[in-house]
Amino acid sequence: MSELMNNLLFGIAYLILAPVVGGLLAGCDRIITARMQRRVGPPLLQPFYDVLKLTEKQEIAVNLIQDFYVGGFLLFVMISGIFFFTRGDILLVVFTLTLASVCLIVAAYSSNSPYSQIGAERELIQTMSYEPMLLMVAIGFYLATGTFSLSEIMHGHAAGIIFLPGVFLGLVYILGIKFRKSPFDLAMSHHAHQELIKGTVTEFSGKTLAMVEVAHWYENIFLLGFVYLFFVWSAGWSILLGLLACAVVFFFEILVDNCCSRIKWQALLKSTWLVSLVAGFINLLILMYMR
Amino acid sequence: MSSQDLVTIKPENRPTDLLQEVENLKFQGYRFVQICCTRVPEGFELTYSFDKNYELKNLRFTLADGEGITSITSLYLPAFVCENEIHDLFGVPINHIAKGVDFGGKFFRLAEKTPWHDLPKGGAH
Amino acid sequence: MGKHTVVPFGPQHPVLPEPIHLDLELDDEKVVRAIPSIGYIHRGLEKLVEKREFKEYVFIAERICGICAFGHGWGYCKSVEGLMNIEIPLRAKYLRTIWHELSRIHSHLLWLGLMADGMGFESLFMHSWRLREKVLDIFEKTTGGRVIFSACKIGGVRRDIEDSELHGIAEILRGMRDEVREITDIFFKEPTSVSRLKDVGILSKEAAVATCAVGPMVRASGIPLDYRVADTSGVYRELNFTPVTTDTCDCYGRCWVRVQEIFASLDMICQAIEKIPAGDIAVPVKGNPNGEYFARLEQPRGEAFYYVKGNNTTHLTRFRVRTPTNMNLPAMVEALKGCDYADVPMIVLTIDPCISCTER
Repeated sequence: MSELMNNLLFGIAYLILAPVVGGLLAGCDRIITARMQRRVGPPLLQPFYDVLKLTEKQEIAVNLIQDFYVGGFLLFVMISGIFFFTRGDILLVVFTLTLASVCLIVAAYSSNSPYSQIGAERELIQTMSYEPMLLMVAIGFYLATGTFSLSEIMHGHAAGIIFLPGVFLGLVYILGIKFRKSPFDLAMSHHAHQELIKGTVTEFSGKTLAMVEVAHWYENIFLLGFVYLFFVWSAGWSILLGLLACAVVFFFEILVDNCCSRIKWQALLKSTWLVSLVAGFINLLILMYMR
Repeated sequence: MSSQDLVTIKPENRPTDLLQEVENLKFQGYRFVQICCTRVPEGFELTYSFDKNYELKNLRFTLADGEGITSITSLYLPAFVCENEIHDLFGVPINHIAKGVDFGGKFFRLAEKTPWHDLPKGGAH
Repeated sequence: MGKHTVVPFGPQHPVLPEPIHLDLELDDEKVVRAIPSIGYIHRGLEKLVEKREFKEYVFIAERICGICAFGHGWGYCKSVEGLMNIEIPLRAKYLRTIWHELSRIHSHLLWLGLMADGMGFESLFMHSWRLREKVLDIFEKTTGGRVIFSACKIGGVRRDIEDSELHGIAEILRGMRDEVREITDIFFKEPTSVSRLKDVGILSKEAAVATCAVGPMVRASGIPLDYRVADTSGVYRELNFTPVTTDTCDCYGRCWVRVQEIFASLDMICQAIEKIPAGDIAVPVKGNPNGEYFARLEQPRGEAFYYVKGNNTTHLTRFRVRTPTNMNLPAMVEALKGCDYADVPMIVLTIDPCISCTER
């Protein structure tokens, strides 16, 4: 019973705290990026001000159905986060996340603007690129710990990283795609300085765009949760190690963002599948052999 | 300084003379530089400039108001930028601009059509 | 059979530095055709020459463009001085060359920043522009203005630079060499940037000749066309100058040419500072312009052409500028055919578009 209460509390904490922490992370991201570029950067709470400003703006939508799909995107991101933090099934988490990105893609397709159409196509290609790796993370944990259940993975007898170093490297590689950072920010960049203007979310405005921002924060938190998963086991102090790993990976993503330009979709597909194959698949083969 | 070489084409010999001269220049390896149009009391004075080894060669003739001229895009395709501009700003009819680069007056988006067509009024203001 | 869409590119587009409108016909993500149209910032500056005295007009000629401002001022002065047979003092020629080469450095650094931004490499953009600030600070110290500084006048230049200050400038520029190298090496060595530049926007040597392109656009296709070789109004004959060329014919080559030109300009300015003679900086101008004159100048973007016509009054009857971007537009349209949509910003930026120059 207390296990259930515990999980439920985690779920509710995620719902309420994730946007807050996600927004603060986004603020840190902007300040660190600015300092790397020898600028001062905005205040820490700037993402919150931006989202509030967006909710006050007039919404101009070509096709109002996009609100429904973006709402779906936000809902499924929250649901996969809840599944993750209530220690559900890791495979279910991965599939719900896929459903969320499909909602976003359909939302982008629903408006007739050429920018969002091309952005949606690129988003589809991106999804094709990182899906195999995410599945390999789930399968990797199954092979390492014998279960898909998150609560058992987190109380395993050893840290996941020891058995799954290749899978971890693959995950860090594709995190750049999910975080929308260079070199993988083809479909939707943080900055509008690209040929697709803002790509997938070009036609969203006002509350719809605010929903996308908030969904992005939810997503970031629970993707960092994936990283956390590799560094915790039954030892109590491993929680700190997990948090440290999340901070390091987050900083690494910002660093890579500031050191690379954007690559084209052909290069994205090739490199992601190559990394998934070499790092992820070989790791899984070794694990299967060891069993 | 650059050569001020100017060759004037007589009125009765256009457009054949113009295309002939331009073809000669192309054959000799000249690069197209620009076309300049000036509104003069007699009409429009056109100057075509070509360059080879940093020496300019210019062709000059005067068109009466309303008279048209053949395009040289058949020989020098990049001339379409200057020719469309002259057509849009001065209203000089230029015939047979190559397919694909004839913008039909819509190359230069302007609030009023052919704003430079008329003679300038007065001098010092 | 791919999906055929027409994407409107510009005039307001975050990745474009200039308001040009392109209708891109796409087949899936490949560009089939690009149809340009301009006119968004046409100010009719050529017609304004009828309303301003020829001595005052230099201030308007400068404002044709913010980046090539000094070049246009010099080009106008040069053409009127040629028309009126005015010989300017040698010190003025040196000063004009120094300012013009500084303009070239600042223009190329600006372009490098925009190229990095177009590639998605924002931090390189910020660093390039940070370096550019040093050049703008030099402009401000010597002329009072950062972008449009009205240093040229008919007959010479309006301000002198003290010799002590000149040596200070040479020191700053020598210090800049290493910083510029650090930043520009990233363009040529960082793998993602190289992949965005190599084999993009190919303009073969034959196509470069056929489209009559000018400037770095054509120098990267192996044609050593640089008007500074023949320019006698500056002091390029006394400085070691050779045109920079390469024959890769792609965006990488043009990037390389512009970077080498930055280094060449840094060298030339230091040389000029050592050789500059003492003397007057201007001669008085008497009389009115009469007749017509053609002049040319090598701007950062390529060869610019100036034509003036006077009728012995204080107002010129015609002033015509044919700017390098004007000449490079057909080359850009040619290079856009068959490229990926993701390469469109690269190719548009590779001609270094200055649409305010094109439209005047």
